[in-house]
Amino acid sequence: MRRIIDYIRRKLSIRVSLVVVVFAALIFVAALSFFFLRARGAVREEAINRATQILDKTSLQVEGILNRVEVATAMTEWLVQRHPENSDSMFVYSRGMLLNNPDFYNCSIAFEPYYFKERGRYCSAYSRNIGGEIRTIQGGSDNYQYFYMDWYLMAKLLDQPCWTEPYMDLDVSTNTSEMVSSYCKPIKDSDGHFIGVINTSLSLSWLSETISALKPYPHSFSIMIGRGGTYFVHPDPSKISRETIFTHTLEDMNLPVSDLGHAMQRGEEGMMHTKVNGEDCYVFYKPLGKTGCSMAIICPERDVFSGFDHLRRAVLMMVFVGLLLMLFLFIRIITRELKPLRRLAAEAETIASGKLDTELPELDRIDEIGQLSQSFGNMQQSLVKYIDELKNTTAQKASIERDLHIASQIQMGMLPKNFPDRIYATLTPAKDVGGDLFDFHIRDGKLFFCIGDVSGKGVPASLFMAVTRSVFRTVSAHEEMPNRIMDSLNKTMADMNETNMFVTLFIGVLDLATGNMHYCNAGHDAPLLVGAGVGILPCDSNIPVGFMPDWKYSLQEAEIYSGTTIFLFTDGLTEAENINHELFNMNRVIEVATEALDAREQEPRKIIARMTEAVHEYVGEADQSDDLTMMAIQFIKD
Amino acid sequence: MKKIGILAAFLVVLGIQPAAAQQQDTLVFTPQWMAQAQFAGYYVAEVKGFYREAGVNVKIKHPSPTQPAMAMLKNNVSQAITLQLCQAIEMVDGGLPIVNILQTSMNNGMMIVSARGRDPLKHKGAKVGIWSVGFGQLAICMSIKDNLEYEWIRFAQNINLFLSGALDAMLAMSYNEYNQLLQAGLEIGADCVYRFCDHGYNVQEDGVYMTRKYYLKHQEQARCFAEASRRGWEWAAEHPEETLDIVMEYVGRDNIATNRVMQRLMLMEILRLQVDRESGERAFRLRPDMVQLASRLMTENAMLDHEITYEELVP
Repeated sequence: MRRIIDYIRRKLSIRVSLVVVVFAALIFVAALSFFFLRARGAVREEAINRATQILDKTSLQVEGILNRVEVATAMTEWLVQRHPENSDSMFVYSRGMLLNNPDFYNCSIAFEPYYFKERGRYCSAYSRNIGGEIRTIQGGSDNYQYFYMDWYLMAKLLDQPCWTEPYMDLDVSTNTSEMVSSYCKPIKDSDGHFIGVINTSLSLSWLSETISALKPYPHSFSIMIGRGGTYFVHPDPSKISRETIFTHTLEDMNLPVSDLGHAMQRGEEGMMHTKVNGEDCYVFYKPLGKTGCSMAIICPERDVFSGFDHLRRAVLMMVFVGLLLMLFLFIRIITRELKPLRRLAAEAETIASGKLDTELPELDRIDEIGQLSQSFGNMQQSLVKYIDELKNTTAQKASIERDLHIASQIQMGMLPKNFPDRIYATLTPAKDVGGDLFDFHIRDGKLFFCIGDVSGKGVPASLFMAVTRSVFRTVSAHEEMPNRIMDSLNKTMADMNETNMFVTLFIGVLDLATGNMHYCNAGHDAPLLVGAGVGILPCDSNIPVGFMPDWKYSLQEAEIYSGTTIFLFTDGLTEAENINHELFNMNRVIEVATEALDAREQEPRKIIARMTEAVHEYVGEADQSDDLTMMAIQFIKD
Repeated sequence: MKKIGILAAFLVVLGIQPAAAQQQDTLVFTPQWMAQAQFAGYYVAEVKGFYREAGVNVKIKHPSPTQPAMAMLKNNVSQAITLQLCQAIEMVDGGLPIVNILQTSMNNGMMIVSARGRDPLKHKGAKVGIWSVGFGQLAICMSIKDNLEYEWIRFAQNINLFLSGALDAMLAMSYNEYNQLLQAGLEIGADCVYRFCDHGYNVQEDGVYMTRKYYLKHQEQARCFAEASRRGWEWAAEHPEETLDIVMEYVGRDNIATNRVMQRLMLMEILRLQVDRESGERAFRLRPDMVQLASRLMTENAMLDHEITYEELVP
């Protein structure tokens, strides 16, 4: 499953096709559901109309015959009442009934025991139509005591005409039985006393055949039940007159057919959706006149809706196949449309691998893919051009870096490399070439030294630094006072300063014999004196060198005691940043110097080494942001 | 004449007895009603060969409308029939000495089922259906004793008269008509049913009877027949579904309008009625106290000329 999902996720064509087809399927489902619902309702209505018409027609047909029986019986009763004294007449009337109505099964005109004294206990004028021949006999005997029979008792007890429950009539003489139903009418004498019953029976074979033939659907069937629910018409002959509609409910109370049975027993007419033999059915039922019987047409739901179901299945199948076809076509079309994209992707891979001159496919298209291809071609050309430029630039950069390296070496070469005892200095540029400088030389028993920091960094700063250092050397070769050296240097630098650069500079001249030191500070950080203690050499506020050629720098003087180390530095020390951009600051410089003093390590190399270590520890992994220059001079009086 | 003699000799050689001689040994047994589970034990005994094993040749012959069981016994068409105890008492009182060779029922299954939800005991003067062929003696006694003045409507057929609304109530057997009423979709509340066994009328019903005259001549045959019949009933109690298969064979053979569900309910109820309420056993014996109860009730209500004793009914 995961593999399929992964495959779909990789295939745009399948993904897009699926989305479209699923959306189309949803629309189809909604539309078809609505259609099927309405169509099913219409089919159901049609089934109801159809069954109702059949039942009405059959009912009318049955009632027509029943009415004839009732009318004929009433006429015979009239005759019997006109001549109640003559028992022989009863046989004539009984026979006449069947002669006039050859479709009647039999007719009995039966009287209460001993009503006719001359006839004794039994007097029942019984006529029976046997194949067109009317046979009339005395119907009562010890073996057939008619006055205990249902047909006789019903009319007598109910005191009104009624139809009996259908029953099997056994003709002993022919040993044949026939399912019949009898219409029984009580006979009253002129005083209104009950004297007997006229019974006219109809064979139900025709009714059974008529009802059995009601078959509006291939698997539908008809039933007829009596008052007691007994089946008198049923497709299963073994049930006829043996089972009732309720028989199986005695063992399974929940059978839904029970409701149908009761509705039919009540003589109701209607339709019921219920389960018959475990199958969903529509049952249409209607009473059969006044017989107490009820007929029903049972139509399996699958039959009623079979045409509809076929149509539905066909439509659903077509939609399903259509959607599949649609999915297939979409995938094919989208795959075909995306083919140039795939080629483009492959070419892009090739280009990405470095083959920039790969030839792109020619697309004769003006759509988005064509535009993309064109853009891709443009991009390829731009890329080739850019790469060429990049190559040149890289070459130039390499050349510059080489130059810079040489420049750095030249710059570093300008700085003193050999340090006498008690003097030491380091310069660590932030870039290849830096803007810091320091220098010293001894002339006439005096140590001339300077430390400076050119504004900016890199090559310009290094050039400015080189000039500053050269001028310092030149001026300090004949000038003794630092302020004059500074003035001279300032004038020279300001005059040639087209780029508005400047340099902070500290110049000192230490008399090595006395320890007397003249100094001048042009905006540089004041040096520390590390001797008996650690202190900052007081410095006047002077502007850096290079701004104003006429500026007069002040001269300051200090007495340096033997053993004191003058610690000079650039702002690369105090402004060294750690990873959190926090500055090393002056306090830490003083702290480290104090520690060195305490450890009696104020000797130049040691104090610079300790300071360098402290700075490196503080800065950690952070980049060096500025040139770092330190110079230490320890004065030892001879 | 000579030819007949030769034929007779030929038959003897073949081991075939003349029909008259065979007739002598065959016991024709007639249940008092058409084929149904009420007589399952006898069918089982016949089908399972219990009669044959007992050495008695039994032929079960059901009555017909023209030949009721009692008439068949009287006319010696049948040598054994089933009867309800009250009917047997009536027959003895009527002058035909009969003996009970096997009693199957130990309880009374008769009831009054009332229509329209009325309590039968509160429906004075109700039109109550009663079988035209008898069986209703206890009901008549009860009606008189409880001063209910029922109007008895004798009817020949089944429940249709009651269903048509022509009767207020009807007598029913708990194993037959009662089930038929249920099968007709009737919902019968407990208030509409009066069971005689619960109101001091628990009189045994079905038993097998022979004329005393026949019995005295064929005591061994009667004993074997009764024993095999009892075995049939005991087998039926143990194998109700197989018994039902046998019953349905007999029902089908006589084309009786019934069904398996009805016959199953009937068999279960008949088997239930065969268990003595007091001992909890299938006793298969006539109880003197029940004979006395039935006889006294019928005498009190002028149905008998004299009270019939237990001794008059047993061999």
